[in-house]
Amino acid sequence: MWELLDSWLIAPFDYGFMRRAVVAGLALSLAAPTLGVFLVLRGMSLIGDAMAHAILPGVALGFLLAGFSLPVMSISGIIFGVFVALLAGAVSKMGGQREDAAMASFFIISLAAGVMLISLGGSSVDLTHVLFGSILAINSTALLLIASISTLIVIILAVIFRALVVECLDPLFLRGQGRRNQWIHSIFLGLLVLNLTAGFQTLGTLMAVGLMMLPATSARFWSKRLEGLIGIAIVLAMLASTGGLLLSFHFDLPSGPSIILLAGTGYLLSALFGRYHSLAARLRRKTTPIETQSLT
Amino acid sequence: MSYKTPSRLILHDLHLAQARRSVLEHVSGEFKAGAITALIGANGAGKSTLIQAIMGELSPISGEVVCAIPPERRAWLPQQLALDLTFPMSVEELVMTGSWPSHGALKGYCAAHYRKGRDIMARLGISHLAHRPLGELSGGQRQRALIGRTLMQEAELLLLDEPFANVDSETVSVLVPILRQMADDGMTLIVVLHDMDHLQRLADEVLLLEGGRAYWMLPSELVSAHRPVNPLPFTSGGHYVGTA
Repeated sequence: MWELLDSWLIAPFDYGFMRRAVVAGLALSLAAPTLGVFLVLRGMSLIGDAMAHAILPGVALGFLLAGFSLPVMSISGIIFGVFVALLAGAVSKMGGQREDAAMASFFIISLAAGVMLISLGGSSVDLTHVLFGSILAINSTALLLIASISTLIVIILAVIFRALVVECLDPLFLRGQGRRNQWIHSIFLGLLVLNLTAGFQTLGTLMAVGLMMLPATSARFWSKRLEGLIGIAIVLAMLASTGGLLLSFHFDLPSGPSIILLAGTGYLLSALFGRYHSLAARLRRKTTPIETQSLT
Repeated sequence: MSYKTPSRLILHDLHLAQARRSVLEHVSGEFKAGAITALIGANGAGKSTLIQAIMGELSPISGEVVCAIPPERRAWLPQQLALDLTFPMSVEELVMTGSWPSHGALKGYCAAHYRKGRDIMARLGISHLAHRPLGELSGGQRQRALIGRTLMQEAELLLLDEPFANVDSETVSVLVPILRQMADDGMTLIVVLHDMDHLQRLADEVLLLEGGRAYWMLPSELVSAHRPVNPLPFTSGGHYVGTA
């Protein structure tokens, strides 16, 4: 029994690339789901997806300039992501168009431009790497960058946590006191772009959103408290990234999709069997006599 | 009624517009500290516009709002729907957020903060709901929790938009003396009201918005005629004109 467990769970990490991959996955699992929880609470679940598209042309430009260099691609991705977000905001203010409409337009242009740039300068293998990641190919420099970005995100989130909570719950409460909540929103979007640039090496620009959103949406089925949501989302993300890696190792599957599909399985199971708002919870509510129901 | 402290919120010949359409013109007057002013008017009369201007959300076309109360001591409770009820937060946590503006974003709460929060919840009769999520509260319980946050904030200016809409009679009977006590403690309260009964129980003064103008009067004057027969606009000097 022990040998079986060892060969399935421990032995794969004898390989250096698996050790680096699991540390990168765990580092991302600390920052990404926390941001995801706030995205869900702010009703901005689709913004992460849009931002992932926005950083692509920057990543592609970095790739054209310096080849597959994570620091260069990350920095140009951050710059382009912030640029597109600001541009979308400016267009919506200028033309009276809603910001989400402007963002949707810009982000789809960004996706097309990014794919075009990578195709012009590289091969279809490069394109696949950027879009869907290659967590098993992470080197020590990339690992250091991912861990540093994740640490920075967690620290900044801890600092602005209370302001973020109050702004999410009741923006008028802050505005009523003459406080500008715009800076909180801007920092939050900045953290989002940072996280996506850390994630694209491991999961790709398109898949990085998965580790952010799926654990966060799953956690809503298990807790009604903010601390609970964040804690559960982090644990689910860690399980998905480690489990996904092991699955990809044993069954020779692509690593990024394995991680995200495992997180997706977690979401479906939560929707079916979760403690709150799930199918099972609805069935329980129908059959529980009134006097035995607890309101707390 | 006599007021011990001078007014800390004065309107000077305000002209307010929404989407380039004039809503209110020549609005002047003082909201007295230690008094509850009922803000009344038909839908679209400009109540929300005036509140926005007082809170600094809307810049006047001309005139000015002079407010001597620091921003962190101002509180605005809009109608309940503005609050995200799905947010995973308990009653106690909501009340505690009231201390954030003055306490700062970075420091944690100390025992004294929690003690004060518990005292406030006891005063509002919601101690037993301390750990209940906001989404599971009734309209009245939620309104009490929001007033609790205002008490925690030690607000000196409180704007309430229809605080008794969709709340139970028990909540009304708890909140009326608390709001009265807040006023007696020197706070400036502006309350949007539609119900004459609530107005009579609560208001010291009335600001009626009608036809783009503002008219100050006593509750008794409003109640006796249900509306002023020939209302005179507020004139300079900071006091209502009297029976029209």
